[in-house]
Amino acid sequence: MGAGREVSISLDGVRDKNVMQLKKLNTALFPVRYNDKYYADALASGDFTKLAYYSDICVGAIACRLEKKEGGAVRVYIMTLGVLAPYRGLGIGTRLLNHVLDLCSKQNISEIYLHVQTNNEDAINFYKKFGFEITDTIQNYYTNITPPDCYVLTKFIAQTKK
Amino acid sequence: MGASLPPKEANLFKLIVKSYETKQYKKGLKAADAILKKFPDHGETLSMKGLTLNCMDRKSEAYELVRLGLKNDLKSHVCWHVYGLLYRSDREYREAIKCYRNALKIDPDNIEILRDLSLLQAQMRDLTGFVETRQQLLTLKPNHRMNWIGFTVAHHLNSNASKAVEILEAYEGTLEDDYPPDNERCEHGEMLLYKISLLEECGSLERALEELHKKGSKIVDKLAYKEQEVSLLVKLGRLEEAAELYRVLLAMNPDNYRYYEGLQKCVGLYSENGRYSADEIDKLDGLYKSLGQQYTWSSAVKRIPLDFLQGDKFYEAADNYIRPLLTKGVPSLFSDLSPLYDHAGKLHFAVMIQADILEKLILELEHSIRLTGRYPRRTDKEPPSTLMWTLFFLAQHYDRRRQYEIALTKIDEAIEHTPTVIDLYSVKSRILKHAGDLAAASALADEARCMDLADRYINSECVKRMLQADQVVLAEKTALLFTKDGDQHNNLHDMQCMWYELASGESYFRQGDLGRALKKFLAVEKHYADITEDQFDFHSYCLRKMTLRAYVAMLKFQDRLHSNAYFHKAAAGAIRCYIKLHDSPSKLATEEDDEMSKLLPSQKKKKRQKLKRAEARAKREAEVKNEESSASGVSKSGKRHVKPADPDPNGEKLLQVEDPLLEATKYLKLLQKNSSDSLETHLLSFEVNMRKQKILLALQAVKQLLRLDAENPDSHRCLIRFFHKVGSMTAPVMDTEKLIWRVLEAERPSISELHEKSLIEANKFFLEKHKDSLMHRAAVAEMQYVLEPNKKSDAIKLIEDSANNLVPVNGALGPVKGWKLKDCIAVHKLLETALTDHDAASRWKVRCVDYFPYSTYFEGKCSSAMPNSVYNQIGKNHENGSASLPGGGKIADSVASNGKLEAFKELTI
Repeated sequence: MGAGREVSISLDGVRDKNVMQLKKLNTALFPVRYNDKYYADALASGDFTKLAYYSDICVGAIACRLEKKEGGAVRVYIMTLGVLAPYRGLGIGTRLLNHVLDLCSKQNISEIYLHVQTNNEDAINFYKKFGFEITDTIQNYYTNITPPDCYVLTKFIAQTKK
Repeated sequence: MGASLPPKEANLFKLIVKSYETKQYKKGLKAADAILKKFPDHGETLSMKGLTLNCMDRKSEAYELVRLGLKNDLKSHVCWHVYGLLYRSDREYREAIKCYRNALKIDPDNIEILRDLSLLQAQMRDLTGFVETRQQLLTLKPNHRMNWIGFTVAHHLNSNASKAVEILEAYEGTLEDDYPPDNERCEHGEMLLYKISLLEECGSLERALEELHKKGSKIVDKLAYKEQEVSLLVKLGRLEEAAELYRVLLAMNPDNYRYYEGLQKCVGLYSENGRYSADEIDKLDGLYKSLGQQYTWSSAVKRIPLDFLQGDKFYEAADNYIRPLLTKGVPSLFSDLSPLYDHAGKLHFAVMIQADILEKLILELEHSIRLTGRYPRRTDKEPPSTLMWTLFFLAQHYDRRRQYEIALTKIDEAIEHTPTVIDLYSVKSRILKHAGDLAAASALADEARCMDLADRYINSECVKRMLQADQVVLAEKTALLFTKDGDQHNNLHDMQCMWYELASGESYFRQGDLGRALKKFLAVEKHYADITEDQFDFHSYCLRKMTLRAYVAMLKFQDRLHSNAYFHKAAAGAIRCYIKLHDSPSKLATEEDDEMSKLLPSQKKKKRQKLKRAEARAKREAEVKNEESSASGVSKSGKRHVKPADPDPNGEKLLQVEDPLLEATKYLKLLQKNSSDSLETHLLSFEVNMRKQKILLALQAVKQLLRLDAENPDSHRCLIRFFHKVGSMTAPVMDTEKLIWRVLEAERPSISELHEKSLIEANKFFLEKHKDSLMHRAAVAEMQYVLEPNKKSDAIKLIEDSANNLVPVNGALGPVKGWKLKDCIAVHKLLETALTDHDAASRWKVRCVDYFPYSTYFEGKCSSAMPNSVYNQIGKNHENGSASLPGGGKIADSVASNGKLEAFKELTI
C-alpha cells in the first residue's frame, strides 16, 4: 500500500437509493442479467445483502435470499458473491462471507447454501475453507453456459446454545 | 390617535392598532366596524380598517378604504402614515416616501414615522434624505444606541467616513468606563471594528492602528482583529511586522490562500500576473519549502508552488503533490490542477508548459503502475484503485486538451476497471458534451444519477445535461425528484433555482419556443428584484444587532447585484427573445391564420367557438383553483400560503407585447448600467438600436465594442454593418436628421479602424491582420457579402480556403487541430443562413465530420446521431458506461477473465 497505510474496508446495506451499485457490480462480474425478483429478494434480505467498500469505492457484494423451510425454519441462500477483478486477493470476499456467516449464527439460522458451476474450482475451494460441503449435484442447471451442471454447497451451522 | 372620538370608541381604536400589530386581523376588523357603525365617516378608522384588510388579502378594498379615510381626514398623520404603509407593502417605495413626508408635515417629531421613512430611504439609497432623517431621530432620542449607530451608518453610506467616525466617538463619550456589560461585549466589539474600518477607509491609518491596539481587549473577534491589523500594517509600509503577523495567521489557518499572498507581498515576492524571474522563483521556492516544514498538514502550501515553478522543479513538485492524492483517491484533483492549464499563454514558448509536463508525469505514473503496481522509484505497492484514479485524471487531461478520442479511451478503461465509481460516468458525460454529442452526454449523466438516487448534485448535473440536449420534459421530471412535495416546478422557482431556469430558457430559445423561454428568463430577472427587496429587513435588524461591517458589505453587494453573471445571462436571453419576436412578429398568430384559411367558413366559425369555449373553461378552472387555495390558506392562519395558479404557464401572454424592442430596451439599460465591460451587452445594444433606427445609440454601441475589443470578429461586423447602413440612408431632411449626420461626420475620422479607408478596404485590412483565424475570416466573408452582394462566391471561397492547422506544442506540431467545434457550427450556420448557399454548407459539413467524429450536429461517425453508434441505444444501458447492449461473445470473455478466485457464478434466479 502507498505509504504503508492499510486501506479500510467497510460494508454497507443495499437500499433502493443505491441498488444501482449492485447492478453495476453484477454487470461486470456475472454473465447473467438478474431480474427484478433477484433485487427484490436482495433488498428484502436486509442485513444479509451487503456492498463492500474499499476506501469508499464499492468493489464487491454479497446478495442473499432468505428462504422458509417446511416447519418454519429459515435458511439462507447466497444468490451472488463477487469482487471486482482488480480488488481480489485483499480479503474482501472473506469479509463479506464472514459477515453473513456471523449473522446466521447470531440469528440461529442453521443452514446456508449456494450453487456453483462444477468447473469453478477456485470458488469451490474458497467455500470449503469456510466449512461448506458439496451436498448435491444438479444436472443441466444452467442453460447458456458450459458445463451446464452445478454443485450445491451447503454449510450447517451449529446452534449457539444459550 | 383617534383623538376626535369619545372615550369608548377611542379605546376601540387603540384595539384596532394593537390587533394590527399582533396580527389579530379579525379582531381588529370587528372593532373598526363597531366604531364605523356610530361614526361612518371617521377617517382614521377607515384607514386602519383598510390596512387590516390589506393583510387579509383584500387589496382593492384596502386601497379604497385607505383613500376614503384620507379624504375624510387630510390633516391626520395617521391616515398618511397608513397610506404610506400600504404603498410600502406593495413595494411602491417612492409613493410611500411621499406619504410619510406628508405625515411628518403634520407631526414632525413622530418617531415611528421617522423610523419607517429612514428605512425606505436606505432601501432607495436616498442618502441625503437618510442622513437628515437619522439626524432628526438622534436629536429626538439621543439616549438610544441605535440612533447613534444609524446616524453613523447614514454618513458612511453618504461617503462621509470621517464624519461617521466623529459621531461614533461622540457616542463612545456617552459610555461609562466599564462599558460594555458582559452581554453586550460582542456588539461593542463589532462597533469598534467598524469604527476602525472607517478610519482605514478615510486614510487615517496611524490612528486606526492606534485605536485597534488601544481597544484590543474589548474586541471579541480576535481573528478579525488580526486581519485588520495586518491590513493596516501593510498599508503603512511596516512590512516586516506585517510578515510576522501573516505567519501568526498562517499558524492559525495554513490553508488560507490570502495569507500566503499577503506574506508574499510583504517579502516582495508577488506579481499580479504570476510571472516571476528565475531569481524570484528560487526565493519563492525556498520560502514555500520552509513554510511547508512548519505547516506539514497544509495542502495549500504544497499546491501554491505549482503555480510558479517551472521545468524540472515543477515536475518534481507536481510529482510529490499528485502521487498521494491519486493513492488516496481525490476526485477533485483535476479541478484543483486545472488552472495550470491556463498558463499556456503566459509563458515564454521555449519553456515547456506545465500542462505538457503534467501529461508526461502522469503517463509515467500510469505506465509504472500498470507494469509493476508501484509508482516509479518506489517499493510500496499501490492499492488497485490508484490505476483507476490515474486513468480518471488522464481522461480529464486529454479532454481539456481537446483530444477526445484518447480521453474516451482512458475513461472507458477506468470504467472497465471499477464500474461502480460515479465520477467516472460524470466525466465521460462531460467529455462527450465537449466532443459535441449532447444526447449521449445526457444519457451518461443519467446513468451516473441512477447510481446514487440520494445525491442532489449528480441529479442536478444530469438535469443540466438534459437541458443542454434539449430534453426539457425529461429534465423537468428529473429535477422534480428533488423538490419537496414534487409539486410542479413552481417549487424550483420558489427556491430561486436560477441555473435551472436559465438552462431551461436557453433550451426553449434554441427550440424556438419564445414564450416559454421568455418566461424562464424573466423569472430569473424577478429573482434579482426579490433579492433587492430582501435587504429591506436588514436596515433595522443590522443596526440593532450591530453587525455593521457585514451590513455595509451587504449594501455594497446589493448595489452591484445586477452585474452578477446569472442576471446578465437572463437579461441577454430575454433581449434575444424580444429581438427574435420583433424580427418574426407573432409567429403563432400567422400559423393559426394559415390553418384557418384552409377551412370552410362554417368550419372556421365552429373552430373559433370551440377555441373560445376552451379558453373560458381554462379561465374558470384557474379561478376556482385560486379560490380554493386562498380559502384553505386563509382558514389556517389568516395568511395565504398557497400561491395562485399561474395564469400563463407557457408564456403566451408574454409574446403579445405591443413593442418587443421597447421591452428589450428595459433590460438593455440594466445591462449597460451593470455590465458595461461585457462585449455581449454592446452587441445586443447594437442589434436593438439598429432595429429601432436609433443611429446615435447604435454608434455608441459600436464605439464601446471597439473600446473593449476592436479585434473581435463581432465588433468588426458591427462596425462595417453600421457604416454600411448609414451610407445607404437618404440625405437628411429634418433638423434632427441633419444633426445626426453632423455627429457621424465628426465621429467617423476618430475611428482608427476606418480612417480614410472605404468599408471594403477596412474589411480587407481586417482580413490581412487575422487571416489565420477561422472566425475572423468568416466575419470578413459575411461583411464582404453585405458590402458586395455580387461577389458572394468570393466570400464563400474565403471561408472554404481556411486551413485547420495543427496547434504547435513545444515548438513541434501537436496532435490537436486549431478549430473549435462551436466555431465550425457557427460557420456552418453562417453559410446556410447569412450566405444562403446550401451547397457550400454541405461541403463544409462534410469537411467538419472528419474533424469532429463525435459531433451530432455534423452527424459524425461516432456520434449518437448515427445508427451504428454505441450510444444509439440510449436508455437501455446494460453495459456499464456505454449505453449499449453487450454482445454474447463479450459475455463469454468476461467470464473467462473473471475465472479467478472469488468471482463466482450462482445463477439461480
